[in-house]
Amino acid sequence: MEPAEILSHTGGGAISLAWLMIVLPLAGAAILLIGGRATNKWGHLLGVLMSVGAFVVAALVFLQLIGLDPAQRRQSVNLYEFIPGVANIGLLIDPLSISFCLLITFVGSLIHIYSIGYMSHDPDRRRFFAYLNLFVAAMLLLVLADNYVALFIGWEGVGLASYLLIGFWQYKPSAAVAAKKAFVVNRVGDFGLLIAMFIIFAQFGTLQYAEVFPAASQASQGVLTAIGLLLLLGACGKSAQLPLQSWLLDAMEGPTPVSALIHAATMVTAGVYLVVRSGAAFFPEGSTAGLVVTIVGVATLLAGAIIGTAKDDIKKGLAGSTMSQIGYMMLAAGIGPAGYAFAIAHLITHGFFKADLFLGAGSVMHAMNDEVDMRRYGGLRKLLPITFVTFFIGYLAIIGFPLLSGYFTKDGIIESVMHHNAILGWLAVLGAGITGFYMTRMVVMTFFGPKRWDEKAHPHESPAVMTWPLIILSIFSVGLGAYLILSNRLLVFLGPAVGQPAELPGFHPFSVPGLTTLALVAVGAGIAIAKYGRSEVPVVQPRGSFLTVFARRDLYGDALNEALFMRPGQWLTRLAVFFDNRGIDGVVNGLAAGVGGSSGRLRKIQTGYVRSYALSIFVGAAVLAGAWFVVGTL
Amino acid sequence: MTTHYLVLSALLFAIGGIGVLVRRNAIVVFMCVELMLNACNLAFVTFARQNGNIDGQVIAFFVMIVAAAEVVIGLAIIVTIFRTRRSASVDDASLLKY
Amino acid sequence: MITAPTIEYFALAPLLIIFGAAIIGVLVEAFAPRYLRRAVHVPLTLLSLVGAFALVILQTVRGVPTTPAAMGSVAVDGPTLFIWGTILVLSFVSVLLINDEEQFVPSAAAVPGSAEEEKAITEGAAHTEVYPLALFAIGGMLLFPASNDLLIMFVALEVMSLPLYLLCGLARRRRLLSQEASVKYFLLGAFSSAFFLYGTALLYGFAGTVDLLGIRERLAVGGGGTETLLLVGTAMLGVGLLFKIGAAPFQAWKPDVYQGAPTPITALMASGTLVAAFGAVLRVFWVALGNDSWNWEPIMWGVAALTMVAGSILAITQTDIKRMLAYSSIAHAGFLLVGVMAVGERGQNALALSGLLFYLVTYGITTVGAFAIVTLVRDPGGEAWHLSRWAGLGKRSPKLAGLFAFFLLAFAGIPLTSGFFGKYAVFRSAVALGEAWLTGLVVLAVVASAAAAFFYVRVIVLMFFSDPSADGPTVVTPSWATSTVVGFSAFATVALGVFPQPVLDLAEKAAKSLFVQ
Repeated sequence: MEPAEILSHTGGGAISLAWLMIVLPLAGAAILLIGGRATNKWGHLLGVLMSVGAFVVAALVFLQLIGLDPAQRRQSVNLYEFIPGVANIGLLIDPLSISFCLLITFVGSLIHIYSIGYMSHDPDRRRFFAYLNLFVAAMLLLVLADNYVALFIGWEGVGLASYLLIGFWQYKPSAAVAAKKAFVVNRVGDFGLLIAMFIIFAQFGTLQYAEVFPAASQASQGVLTAIGLLLLLGACGKSAQLPLQSWLLDAMEGPTPVSALIHAATMVTAGVYLVVRSGAAFFPEGSTAGLVVTIVGVATLLAGAIIGTAKDDIKKGLAGSTMSQIGYMMLAAGIGPAGYAFAIAHLITHGFFKADLFLGAGSVMHAMNDEVDMRRYGGLRKLLPITFVTFFIGYLAIIGFPLLSGYFTKDGIIESVMHHNAILGWLAVLGAGITGFYMTRMVVMTFFGPKRWDEKAHPHESPAVMTWPLIILSIFSVGLGAYLILSNRLLVFLGPAVGQPAELPGFHPFSVPGLTTLALVAVGAGIAIAKYGRSEVPVVQPRGSFLTVFARRDLYGDALNEALFMRPGQWLTRLAVFFDNRGIDGVVNGLAAGVGGSSGRLRKIQTGYVRSYALSIFVGAAVLAGAWFVVGTL
Repeated sequence: MTTHYLVLSALLFAIGGIGVLVRRNAIVVFMCVELMLNACNLAFVTFARQNGNIDGQVIAFFVMIVAAAEVVIGLAIIVTIFRTRRSASVDDASLLKY
Repeated sequence: MITAPTIEYFALAPLLIIFGAAIIGVLVEAFAPRYLRRAVHVPLTLLSLVGAFALVILQTVRGVPTTPAAMGSVAVDGPTLFIWGTILVLSFVSVLLINDEEQFVPSAAAVPGSAEEEKAITEGAAHTEVYPLALFAIGGMLLFPASNDLLIMFVALEVMSLPLYLLCGLARRRRLLSQEASVKYFLLGAFSSAFFLYGTALLYGFAGTVDLLGIRERLAVGGGGTETLLLVGTAMLGVGLLFKIGAAPFQAWKPDVYQGAPTPITALMASGTLVAAFGAVLRVFWVALGNDSWNWEPIMWGVAALTMVAGSILAITQTDIKRMLAYSSIAHAGFLLVGVMAVGERGQNALALSGLLFYLVTYGITTVGAFAIVTLVRDPGGEAWHLSRWAGLGKRSPKLAGLFAFFLLAFAGIPLTSGFFGKYAVFRSAVALGEAWLTGLVVLAVVASAAAAFFYVRVIVLMFFSDPSADGPTVVTPSWATSTVVGFSAFATVALGVFPQPVLDLAEKAAKSLFVQ
């Protein structure tokens, strides 16, 4: 089934108020930033309120949308003509965007609430909430936009919020460096997106989805592939996919709620959104661009998993896992309509259980004086019972323990990819096995075994404002996957937005790949238990084998970047600068110097003597009269 | 013949204008501006005669009133700056430049 | 037998209220005890502005008159009402700035640094005359663009300018500069108004009347061998008008006067006077000389090009914040002149006029906001004008620097600020005319805006990316009035940049009827 036509919204109801979703958190951010210290007392509450308000609006819009006939479920709400006919801002309300909205606002609200407790000792808590609100607004704009321009504004907005939040503790040099790195790497991706937009505009004369998508089939194959690959470059930057993955691990320098919201649940999935949103037009089934998406996805899912196996920093371990899980989503998104629903389903469930895991990790850090090294944890399950139970549920969900969320969605991805390309499918199965290993390792090192922490630490359970979000997230981590996948609920719901395959896939729990996956996960978990549960975990990181070091160093991603891109880039820049100085820049600089120089000389005309000013008026008058005379008598 | 009056008016206007350019004393500069206004008055009255209506003559009265108001303001300003600087030369006041 | 003239009191009521309040203000100066004066002046001034504004609204709602008032000498038409509304709003916010008594000298007659001045300061003396003076100036600003004959226009010009000459010299700090600004503005202003008057005289000789409509009719007839009077007269009249808007080569006064004058007065001049003078330029060139446009357009073209280039280039090397804003104002005057030339048939004129009116609103509001912020950054000896003092301001008071940066971006015409739509509306109307010579000028204007953007961005970079010096300027806590002004300007600059349509519609509606002809 092809996606439904995009109708322009005419009726009233919640859909015409969808802009409130964006405006509420934006207003929150504005009030908190402009209000300054005056809002310190209640700033965090306002931030929570705005986020919850956005969720309420999203829920109302959702309810109105499912009340409509499926063919009517893609509506664009035109808000504002910026320049009539060239750029306007409108919202596209369809099953895809509203799914994202619900995820962003719901998980976002929980994380806002959690942050009240997590940031309670931070003097800049208000600013933190302002940035969080800004992020929510920008992310909603990104997914709600009905054209690429507004999407790009949202895209840059989340980038800005992410940059601000990674570097939130800017007094830490590592945080400042990480923020800068995220900024630079993301610019590379943005560059791709921007060029893609230029080509789209040049080709179709518009950037409105409603006009671009139907027209796409008329463009030549080469152009479509080019646009697809450039969009993918943008997606790779935002979603930390190979080869632009390096920033995400460093981004863990930000406060943990940020890692949970931005660098796990929402922003990093924007790349998946971009691919799925443009899918029907630029990544159709069997296209070159689609193939590249799947390759990138599978490479990243393995790389992320391998990185996750060797990290001792609990947040970096989770970050590797995030890369890996997004790799799964990309993989599914690359295969076309058969995979979209599974990609989004995994995206949503991942949003919940990864937020749960990150917040759990935050809760552990909160208890352990911000210690992040898992080698210094151990035996925490009795001291942090709620954190342990919720983290454990998240753990079971992510490794794909039967009947929990991750089981259904990951299995869906593996099954659909298997039909598409068996090699990719088996690689995805292998990834699931590695996931079982590194996640078990994490749980064992943190919550089981003897305690390995200093005497000074006094682990304690977090306050209720932090544990309740954990509990809610873990409940969703249990049941959401079954709800979305069984009887193809999400697939049918998303059909009008992204299209759906001709025959609906069934759920086969006892297929060969499914059973193999379970077996591999069990093996991975078993190895981890044997290695870390049975024997002593050294507090100081051992040297490790070649492979371990390889994984610890992020597969030498940074070194590779440096050797492949940075060094040649520097040389290229030097070369370019050399020529630029001689050629292009010579002209530009010459012009600038000329303007500056003439400005410097011209301003001497302004002598300060009133008589010379009068002279300029007098001569001016004479010239004017003369000119008039000449023109008049011509 | 009204042409002579017009030529005289133009001459007076030019003398006034050049006076503004060459004289240094603020009062004299200002008097030159007044001379320009009076040149205008002469032109108005002449044209009134030429056009055969009295608009020009009425305008001349208006101009005198405005000129009087201008004198009040102008002298106030010039006297103030004279008290500060002990000089009425317009060339001395040249701190604001470039 | 002479019939008594008829006066349309309702149409003229906004003018009468302002002038009436100004005269009451003079009486207050004469009779009210010293300690009461300010308490009377501030509400009186603000209320009269509000009252006049309300009447402007009422007249707009009731329907715009189609014939000039007061025996054809004052034209209260659609554009006039829009300009009046604009000037009244700008004046209101400027008066809120003037309300800051820290800005004005306690005793203008006392020599700077003398014992007399010390005494005046300790006694807390104040020149409360600034309020009636400002009201007279505002009244002149209202009358200037509305005058439908050259005599009234001359009188309005003087009524507007004379109080401003005085107000320029009343700064509390750096009094030498202030007095110098005052004397320069006065001498040059008087000089240029003499040109205006001489032009009027020559046009009177040409047409036999100073009525703008009369001159228009006379031009339509043509011939008569008095072309010289017309040409030279137009040139002289143009000098007077172009001087007021600060077009090159008559721009020299602007930087000096803007720098030396008390900043609230600079705000009033840069916003209100510019709007009024542009209204007058439009009325003279479109109404009286509308049938002669092929004669003045080439000259106006040169003036506009010179003005925008001079303003943009000279601004680049300025080191004084107020001078930089003055040159920016000159460049903007050049951009506005582009719209003046976009005349054609009726619909085209309405398009150009609405663009100009919108530009004037946006520029005026942003300007007042920018100068309001200048009043807040202070050194021990007064406001911190030198740009080096603004270095690193973004780190010390990010909110203030952020707002100022925002105003600068609006001046530069960055999208999502009001300045973008102002430029867009004017340039669009010029391109819509479809004449190559004018489109070429628009290209030049866009290039000049790009050059101008350079010096705005330079200030922003200076504020946010350099380290503040240890003895940097202090940012005073703004009074409620200044906060209101800054807040209002920032709000309007955003609102007009994001939702320009209501005001654009209003401007279009005002422009549709064009000037009374």
